[in-house]
Amino acid sequence: MRIKLTSIMVEDQDKALRFYTEVLGFRKKRDIPAGEYRWITVVSAEGPADVELALEPNANPAGKTFQQAMFSQKIPLAAFEVSDIAAEYERLKSAGVVFTREPLNAGPVTIAVFSDTCGNLIQLYQPASR
Amino acid sequence: MLLPPDTFRRLCLARDLLRQSGPAVPVREIARSAGFSHFYFIRQFDALFGMTPHQFRIAMRLDEARIRLAAGKHSVTDVCMDLGFSSLGSFSSLFARRIGVAPSAYRRRARVMVQVPGLPPPDLFPGCLNLMAMAFRNFGEAPGAAASIQS
Repeated sequence: MRIKLTSIMVEDQDKALRFYTEVLGFRKKRDIPAGEYRWITVVSAEGPADVELALEPNANPAGKTFQQAMFSQKIPLAAFEVSDIAAEYERLKSAGVVFTREPLNAGPVTIAVFSDTCGNLIQLYQPASR
Repeated sequence: MLLPPDTFRRLCLARDLLRQSGPAVPVREIARSAGFSHFYFIRQFDALFGMTPHQFRIAMRLDEARIRLAAGKHSVTDVCMDLGFSSLGSFSSLFARRIGVAPSAYRRRARVMVQVPGLPPPDLFPGCLNLMAMAFRNFGEAPGAAASIQS
């Protein structure tokens, strides 16, 4: 058993694909029609190429309620590791990304939180050893 | 941009107000209730949530329309009127543009599905990862899906 796939709910799959590729810099791996939605996954340009993030629609009302509540409570729904959090913070801010927490040293990691414009807060973290 | 905690809190509050209020309440009034000027509110809301307050309202009403149409108990006209759309024509074309099918076709499709009372039909309201099975099944990839994921 391996962990190769995770997912995040998004309001609009097209918009999400644009944000996750053009703004965050991930690469599209799959885009397959599935009913009225699509099975879309992205991978990190920095690898590994076989660990995918699915951008799934938040079409289910239960999912949307959960997503909106977590957002209002400032709880991120995904976390991505970065090598230089200060540089990512500046790069994303200049690309128009809204942060709700600037880089904060939390001991073993430094974290920052931004809105993905698809209904989620996302946490960036940089391990202290890097 | 780094959003101050109080602005974040008020924008989330405004989103709740938009959800709870009918379309008759002007966005300007929601902005004022949350302590924002009108245009600043629209800009900040868009930056945080990825859509303007107006677009958020439309998306919410379309969500509700999908739920009601999928339940199969309401006519397209009833759904259109109950949700405060101004005309059947504008509702139908908006729905078709966003959802991909006309509301009447959407309702017909939902009616032929096996439904559990009180629950939305899973094919129209996918929960998370069951889309994966749908996608690979459509592509005839199901048996080799695991292998292709690893490639």
